[in-house]
Amino acid sequence: MIEVRRLEKTFPGKHGLLGHDAVKAVQDVSFRIPDGGAVSFIGESGCGKTTIGRILAGLENYTAGEVLVDGQNLATVDRRQREAVLRRVQLIQQDPYQALNPARTIEQALSDPLKVMAKARGADTAWILQRMEEVLGLVGLEPEAVVHKYPHMLSGGQRQRIVIARALTVEPSVLVADEAVSMIDVSLRLGVLKLLRDLREKFHISLIFITHDVASARYVGEDGQMFVIYKGMIAEQGPTDDVILHPQHPYTQALLSAVPVLKGLESPGSDRYIPLKELDHGQSPENACLFAPRCPFAQPLCETERPALQGASGHQYACHYPQERHVVAVALKE
Amino acid sequence: MSAEWPLKANTKAVGITIRDLEVVYSTGQGQVPAVNGVDLDIAGGQITGIIGESGSGKSTLAMAIMNAVPHPGRIVKGSVVVDGVGNMLTLDKESQRRARGRNLGFVFQAAQNSLNPLTRVGHQVLDLGRSHNVKDLRGLLRRAKELLHRMGMDADRVLTAYQHELSGGMRQRVGIMFALVLDAQVVILDEPTTALDMLSQASVLEIVRSIHEERDITTILITHDMGVVADLADRVVVMYGGELAEEGETAEVLAHPAHPYTKGLIQAIPRISGDLSQAVALSGSPPDLKTFMQSGCLFYDRCPERVAECQVKRPPYESAGPERKVACFRVMPHD
Ligand SMILES: Nc1ncnc2c1ncn2[C@@H]1O[C@H](COP(=O)(O)OP(=O)(O)OP(=O)(O)O)[C@@H](O)[C@H]1O
Ligand SMILES: Nc1ncnc2c1ncn2[C@@H]1O[C@H](COP(=O)(O)OP(=O)(O)OP(=O)(O)O)[C@@H](O)[C@H]1O
Ligand SMILES: [Mg+2]
Ligand SMILES: [Mg+2]
Repeated sequence: MIEVRRLEKTFPGKHGLLGHDAVKAVQDVSFRIPDGGAVSFIGESGCGKTTIGRILAGLENYTAGEVLVDGQNLATVDRRQREAVLRRVQLIQQDPYQALNPARTIEQALSDPLKVMAKARGADTAWILQRMEEVLGLVGLEPEAVVHKYPHMLSGGQRQRIVIARALTVEPSVLVADEAVSMIDVSLRLGVLKLLRDLREKFHISLIFITHDVASARYVGEDGQMFVIYKGMIAEQGPTDDVILHPQHPYTQALLSAVPVLKGLESPGSDRYIPLKELDHGQSPENACLFAPRCPFAQPLCETERPALQGASGHQYACHYPQERHVVAVALKE
Repeated sequence: MSAEWPLKANTKAVGITIRDLEVVYSTGQGQVPAVNGVDLDIAGGQITGIIGESGSGKSTLAMAIMNAVPHPGRIVKGSVVVDGVGNMLTLDKESQRRARGRNLGFVFQAAQNSLNPLTRVGHQVLDLGRSHNVKDLRGLLRRAKELLHRMGMDADRVLTAYQHELSGGMRQRVGIMFALVLDAQVVILDEPTTALDMLSQASVLEIVRSIHEERDITTILITHDMGVVADLADRVVVMYGGELAEEGETAEVLAHPAHPYTKGLIQAIPRISGDLSQAVALSGSPPDLKTFMQSGCLFYDRCPERVAECQVKRPPYESAGPERKVACFRVMPHD
């Protein structure tokens, strides 16, 4: 189980020609994930999703707040324990090309972490080979067909499966999937999403799914929690289908409107709207709603007071004027 | 709206007729028939979506339409007749060059990186104008500004910016501005949203949609995302392994796909409402070098509906009802 309380991350500013102000990449984010559970973070580019994932995987420190993995606080455990804790949390990154060394075969890529595991439990080479076949089988690959290949000889979907297989070698309890399918051909994405879903079901691995695509977040975590992040803060949170079917925050509604409507099968939701203005990456005034500059429903209050999360405990939204709108496409009757 | 914009009544939408087009890349491993025997009518004034997996030949087809296939590719045969311009494959070099930009606007795949990194956007507009002998360069800049403003951007800022100062979504918009600023009647957009997040994608698509309608142009949209075509295109053309698998009116194809590959692509779209178990992953790998060598149907290895005949013979691309063509032995022509 992972518990995160009031997480905050500020990247320091830089002086000079290419300088910039300090970036509040994550502000006041709290969540918990039970074993086998799923949490998704959705939001557009630059809203802080990757930073949250990297903090959970121990690759980035944080400015304030607490991160507890199975009850152990990442900031206070000693170094050796920290390593053991972090091994349970495996990060799967966006680009499977970069994650794999092009000069090493799949067999070599998988045997490194397996050797460490074998040493720890006093197992032999036979165990390594058997475990390698096992993890490849788990990700839906035929071991003989891939072990002697180099990454460039595989399709994007196969490569991402190898990255997942490698993460599984250390028997993690949490996978952090950061845009894990966005570089893969659309036609092959669903296969990888299904794999992530199956891993949750079969092995009780919890999943933190980071994406800008609401539909894939729903596919892997329909029974989980969804967090909509805007400029490092939670705009809306709740059970996944609640957030999708009854969105209260205009930003969530924009993200849902962005999902393509399938002509011939669906008609657009009556309130669908798409902001043409791009996200600006500048500083936002402390006492204004972060989304106000792009919000078509903004009122004077939104410019002078930052809204706090409100709503029943399950489903919350940071908006002064929450209102459900029908932005999701409706299936046409045949 | 300014008088600079062509009025609907004045323009005649430009169609493109492609016949028996074949493009081959000579590589170390042999000849890759990246586009093979393609017959396609691009209807004037419509948005045609060309969809296919990576390597299916979409970009090559687009380049061939402009007779700009890069080395080591070569157009082996065929014709590409653009209304009012002629056959792009037989026109003299100078007329071809003029047609590219004036008649055919183009946004390259990875347009993110296709701007000149060393020159401000505004200068690049002027360079484009000079290379096409535009007399009224001020007017051209004004049109560029109008287009940028139209796309939700601070036009003055963008024109004085360098590429690295723009986000991915802004670069795509700038690419679209370049494709349209000479008043091309056909725009070809190759993967205009692939590297963008969903919200930027949606706004770029919205821009494409509204500009298409305002200007009554012919738009060709290339993508590997069925959702994108399904949302935006009037007609969809499905490519597989360098050949056409199916085409038709978008809503018709989505509601009643005929080719098993088209069905697979549609089923593999995860949805935000309804039953998740309806989404089914497409099996197998996208077409590669070996696929092209097959004598039978190119989709044979991955096809859930294949029969013996499919392994030995390539199904012809035939009419299967009004406005619909399919290359599949299992599809009976409608009466
Ligand atoms: N090492 C760093 N130094 C300074 N700023 C950073 C650093 N890493 C991230 N940021 C900034 O923090 C913010 C959040 O970035 P992050 O990568 O977490 O966003 P994201 O939601 O993952 O975006 P994307 O969808 O593009 O991957 C951005 O404004 C980014 O520029
Ligand atoms: N410069 C080149 N040299 C050799 N082969 C090439 C070259 N460009 C493309 N090909 C091959 O031609 C075929 C079609 O490529 P093309 O780029 O047209 O596909 P695409 O559908 O646009 O794919 P993507 O979705 O990846 O952009 C592929 O098999 C590709 O490997
Ligand atoms: Mg990221
Ligand atoms: Mg391409």
